[in-house]
Amino acid sequence: MTTLTYAWRAARVTPLGELYTPPRITAALLRLTVQVVLVASLWHGLYAQTGTTAGLSRDQAVTFAVLAVLASRLRELDQYAGRDSVAQHMYYGTIVYWYLRPLSPHRYYALRALGEQLYGLAWALGGYTVCLAAGVVVPPESASVAGVFALSLFLGQWVLHYVMLLIDQLCFWTLRNTAALLILIFAQNLMSGVYAPLWYFPHWFLTLSSFLPFQATLNVPLSLYVGRIPLSEAGFQLGVQAGWLVALRFLTRFLWRRAARRVVSQGG
Amino acid sequence: MTASIEVRGLSRTFHTTVRRPGFTGVLRSLVNPERVEKHAVSDISFDVAPGELLALLGPNGAGKSTTIKMLTGILTPTSGEARVAGVVPYRERERNARNIGAVFGQRTQLWWDLPVRESFSILRDIYEVPKAEHAARLREFDELLELSSFWDTRVRHLSLGQRVRCDLAAALLHDPPVVFLDEPTIGMDVVVKEQVREFLRYQVAERGRTVLLTTHDMTEVERLAERVVLVNHGRLVLDGTLDEVRRGFGSTWQVRATLADPHTPVGPLPGIALVSHDGPQVVFGPDGPAAPTVHQALKLVIERYEVTGVAVDEADLEDVMRAAYAEVRAKAEAA
Repeated sequence: MTTLTYAWRAARVTPLGELYTPPRITAALLRLTVQVVLVASLWHGLYAQTGTTAGLSRDQAVTFAVLAVLASRLRELDQYAGRDSVAQHMYYGTIVYWYLRPLSPHRYYALRALGEQLYGLAWALGGYTVCLAAGVVVPPESASVAGVFALSLFLGQWVLHYVMLLIDQLCFWTLRNTAALLILIFAQNLMSGVYAPLWYFPHWFLTLSSFLPFQATLNVPLSLYVGRIPLSEAGFQLGVQAGWLVALRFLTRFLWRRAARRVVSQGG
Repeated sequence: MTASIEVRGLSRTFHTTVRRPGFTGVLRSLVNPERVEKHAVSDISFDVAPGELLALLGPNGAGKSTTIKMLTGILTPTSGEARVAGVVPYRERERNARNIGAVFGQRTQLWWDLPVRESFSILRDIYEVPKAEHAARLREFDELLELSSFWDTRVRHLSLGQRVRCDLAAALLHDPPVVFLDEPTIGMDVVVKEQVREFLRYQVAERGRTVLLTTHDMTEVERLAERVVLVNHGRLVLDGTLDEVRRGFGSTWQVRATLADPHTPVGPLPGIALVSHDGPQVVFGPDGPAAPTVHQALKLVIERYEVTGVAVDEADLEDVMRAAYAEVRAKAEAA
């Protein structure tokens, strides 16, 4: 019971900070609305003169792009404004407190991320319901597709959690991770299909992407949703996602152990 | 009595890279970095008894914070051994965390975006403190630190004094027997400083907590600590009471007497040197490590001579520590 209580407390840290700051919620709502409208308009425009491109019809492309925008909200909470990013804790020397509590830093980090993603999921689900009702996105073809999509999205977000954690862990060696974070955000958006579904990219790019974890985060679940990856191939794709999960889990646990030896705050 | 904090031969060496000066030097450092060893703490040993407040003093860069980080389990020592409430902190970090509380200067452990009370609740659940106990402790802290007027405010909107008071409360919410305070009152105004000192006095005297305090504020040391450990360049220079520190480092008092008869022959007394003698005006000072305290000296002077007036000049701890730092620096340079 106590484990559940502290898990609940740690999980709600960032969402609570956001709820205490209504302007941030208004800004997020505005940005999400504008992004959805623009992305939907763009893809409708691109498909004005064509039927199917890169194996995607207009409805599939628009649905993919809009769902990508909604999914990006899953991990978009502002830790920086709350001075709660690992980089800031390293910079201000407050990371020491993560090591002074009877809750390991990796568990605290994981619980906090879980809360952020659940809160983000509420936003994404709200946006999805509105978009579905407005006819901006099409529903999944069948209940099986919906189920496989949900499982794949879950695994994808878990992979993304580890990718973000890797970047944060960099701070223990470099103190700052701004450059790495910018590269990651660009790579993540490009290679996961947030900017455009990967199916539009040349073959060599798809091959390159298959060696990186990014497409497992979003491109796979969204392709399953719109039917670009058929259900018959879902097992393999889910296996790849699970493989990335296991590999990244071991790598990040190893880095947590190494990081614990490097907790040196500024001064003294 | 078993010590709350036991430190035996504790050392910590850091390996750092030195950048060479100039443009070519920087380029050379990139290709062939020069690695140096820095001995932040070298072979330090001391004990702190249960319910004792010990001031760990030393100039900047002396190794105080590194020592505290080893005792809190954040850093692993290169050699030596430490126990805090019976636990080796760097081997059993999470078990040690339940026994200790810590405040590191202006670095807050509170959640910046949340009201203070929300931070307290998070800590309550992390440390698994029963709700009734938590509420009682908050009431007690509120009485001493006047927290309730701002504990519903978000941490980002608090003043420094308010924030550090909340950090002190946060560090003690789980009732730890040992508390580490690394310059807790730095940057505070005098009123808040005094409130924090009163709070610490209460925690030691009434709650029996063991406190290890580092500070550069000698008034704080004088008001809170009976015993100090002085470190410099990572080495322990002195471990003793405030009186011993005063006696150990330079002339710390003078007794000025006006003799009733200016022709009275005047000479040194046991442990007391004659500093000057000008007509009826006589000045005495301490003579060597066995010198008496200022009060004993005053008594001796009055008993030995017939005086019409007497005054005492006692150097404050700030002067004493200045002398102590200067002496240890001189010794280090000579070595």
